[in-house]
Amino acid sequence: MKKYSHETVVGAFVVIGLVAIAYMTVKLGNVSLLGDDSYSLYAEFSSVSGLRVGNPVEIFGMEVGKVEGFRMDQEKQQVVVDLKIKTGIDIYDDAIASVKTAGLIGDKYVSIDPGGSDELLKPGDFILDTQSPIDLGDLIGKYAFGDIKKDGGETKGEEE
Amino acid sequence: MEDELIEFKNVTKRFGKRTVLDNVGLRIFDGDVTTIIGKSGTGKSVLLKHIIGLLAPTEGTILFRGKPVYEMDRKEFDAYRSQFSYCFQNNALFDSLTVFGNIALPLQQTTRMGKKEIETRVVQKMEQLEVADVSDKYPSQLSGGMQKRVALARALVTDPKIVLFDEPTTGQDPIRKNAILSMIAHNQKRFGFTTIMISHDIPDVFYISNRILILYDGKIIFQGTYRELERLQHPMVDEYISSLKGFEKEFLTPVSDGEAFGLSGKDVKIAEKKDTVIVAVLTLDELDALTEKLGQKRTDEILQSLGEYLNRHFGDVGISNRMAKNRFAVIFNHMDAKRVESMVEAFTRELREQGLGEAHPDTGGLIDSGKTVSLAVRVGLAEASPKENIQVTADKARSREKVIARFFCARCET
Amino acid sequence: MTRTKTSGEKQLWPFETVGTKVNGWVDDLGAVGIFLLRAFIMVFRAKQLPSIVQQVYYIGARSAPVVMLVGLFTGMVLGLQLYYTLVKFGSTGALGSAIALSLIRELGPVLTAIMITARAGSSMTTEIGIQRISEQIDALYTMRIDSLRYLVSPRIAASIISFPLLTAFFDIIGILGGYLTGVVLLGLDAGSYFYRVETSVEIDDITGGFVKAVVFAIIVSTICCFQGYFTHMRTDAHGAKSVGLSTTSAVVLSCVLILISDYVVTSLLL
Repeated sequence: MKKYSHETVVGAFVVIGLVAIAYMTVKLGNVSLLGDDSYSLYAEFSSVSGLRVGNPVEIFGMEVGKVEGFRMDQEKQQVVVDLKIKTGIDIYDDAIASVKTAGLIGDKYVSIDPGGSDELLKPGDFILDTQSPIDLGDLIGKYAFGDIKKDGGETKGEEE
Repeated sequence: MEDELIEFKNVTKRFGKRTVLDNVGLRIFDGDVTTIIGKSGTGKSVLLKHIIGLLAPTEGTILFRGKPVYEMDRKEFDAYRSQFSYCFQNNALFDSLTVFGNIALPLQQTTRMGKKEIETRVVQKMEQLEVADVSDKYPSQLSGGMQKRVALARALVTDPKIVLFDEPTTGQDPIRKNAILSMIAHNQKRFGFTTIMISHDIPDVFYISNRILILYDGKIIFQGTYRELERLQHPMVDEYISSLKGFEKEFLTPVSDGEAFGLSGKDVKIAEKKDTVIVAVLTLDELDALTEKLGQKRTDEILQSLGEYLNRHFGDVGISNRMAKNRFAVIFNHMDAKRVESMVEAFTRELREQGLGEAHPDTGGLIDSGKTVSLAVRVGLAEASPKENIQVTADKARSREKVIARFFCARCET
Repeated sequence: MTRTKTSGEKQLWPFETVGTKVNGWVDDLGAVGIFLLRAFIMVFRAKQLPSIVQQVYYIGARSAPVVMLVGLFTGMVLGLQLYYTLVKFGSTGALGSAIALSLIRELGPVLTAIMITARAGSSMTTEIGIQRISEQIDALYTMRIDSLRYLVSPRIAASIISFPLLTAFFDIIGILGGYLTGVVLLGLDAGSYFYRVETSVEIDDITGGFVKAVVFAIIVSTICCFQGYFTHMRTDAHGAKSVGLSTTSAVVLSCVLILISDYVVTSLLL
């Protein structure tokens, strides 16, 4: 009954298993293959609601980096976000960084419009133009309770 | 005197409400073959398990060479147990391993021997116990007797100094029984091993035991040699012997080999009825050398032939008994000495002509003593004085033994 | 494990029964704990590797087909069920994420562990139980072979190796199963399915799943071996019957503890 010895089967089993684990870890878990060939840029936001460490950084929809960390700047009342960008991606000093949502109720990510000025941002530089995430709840509230103008006028229940 | 090896002091063992061992005190000596006998289920296995440490006494102490066993620290206890080997009543073979695997396991797990060395030793033990043919089989595929032999091989493969056997001969045929018992005796004589065994195989075990312990009702009622046992008055001993006799009366004819060991007082009673009693003692010489050279099986065959001869010649006129492995005694009632002598002569003649099993009579030609084995048969006669103890008469006959026939066995290679 | 009742005054019921029972559980827990600790230490002694490899064969390699089959069908049924639910929110695009996360975080480790319990766990209990009642474990004692080291340690080590590997198989094949129903059967876009799988799964999910697998491995192997090893101490049955009861207890107890510990580990990780 032993065409292959038990040891061979175990060997195959363990190897395939480890390959499976490795695949899952690397491919699915987005293990940072950025590593050393990346550089940091910073951006200040008035709100980073929903953004988490590890969320992707995209330019034109393509992933170019990750959110590395957060820091609070209590003087300026802003959150400083550490963005890790792949080396080779050029971002200029008139770039805009915005926190966006993937889909309607998806994860947050940082979208960067790299800009087109002459000055290239160096590692450790700040992206000055930022857009905090839109708070969907606020928006809906404003619409429902009449802060947003419809047809140019305010909607205020009975009045009108 | 030998050293005291194991001592039980006031050992009591209870399982719930049941008391199995009651204030047991016993001594076992180094280098002895000690046999524990008793009715089935009276706690003999329990006693044996205490020695190896599988059970601990409810009360009392067990001493090993004077040291209390349960006060030893881990290392000492391990060293203590390393000298023992245990053979279970139910064999307790590892049924997921082959016969080879079973016997090799203790060597593989507790020693650092290499694969080849282990193999050699295992094969040697398998051949010794005649299980080499089934080396690849699993225990469930073997008969009970073979399983027992595998268990024995497994217990002996580590060459332990002290071996505990729980009914080693149960379920074996008579030839193998004797093989096992003589192996035990052999180990003791050659290597000085100590054996402690439980057996029901009376009287055969008495041939090889130095010391007998009887467990009755949870108590040790006797510790001593066989001779001392003979003089013991105890209901259990009587029970045993009378049950043997009763069995014979019911099922067997009075004359048979293997009656009660030795010549007991009961035989004297029969003899007392008549006037003259003559005892003839017949011995096969050099049994040990023979067994060594020929092996157990062949030696037994030769002894068996001897027994058959005796039966054929003297079965009608006398009571024959086996006094020891290689010694027979025939008691002739109310026959005169002349008659007995002529019968013995006829016996001798036939023996010389026919040979004994494989052995051929020595006709005086050249023998290559290197290749062949020689045997000698001796006979002695003695007439019992009135009221004399039969045993004494037998001893007298022994002292008068003369060689009546010699044989050599040419086909017997060593 | 049942206990014989101590005699007591009737007016103290139910406190006495509860007290005795709790005492019993704590005792058992302690016994299991010591059992595990001693067996685990022995894993690293010499000569264990061949036995461990053997056990990985029986526990791991041989369970692989079953685990993969169950994984496939779990993935497929998830695909079906989730599709029809997500359709109502217009979020069928999220199918990939939903399936991948459910499998990797929860269903993979838990169902794999339960399948292995049913297969290998029950046989651990029975094998060791029979060896106990036929005195084979006593025989090992007389040969100074530590039965814990020889019988139990390899099984625990092999479980710790096998459970995560099999969980990985389950996860991957489950995701493929979801692909089969979601994409092939129901027409979802293959690209977005796998994209969602890749993007929504994070490293924490994966390590969390494998941590659970290891925890389950330890629980299942310890309980199953323990039940078999001490089957002779059952008061409610003897011989073959006690082995049967031990096996039942082992499998049931293992499954229950898998689910309980699943909750505990999940809450610790999140």
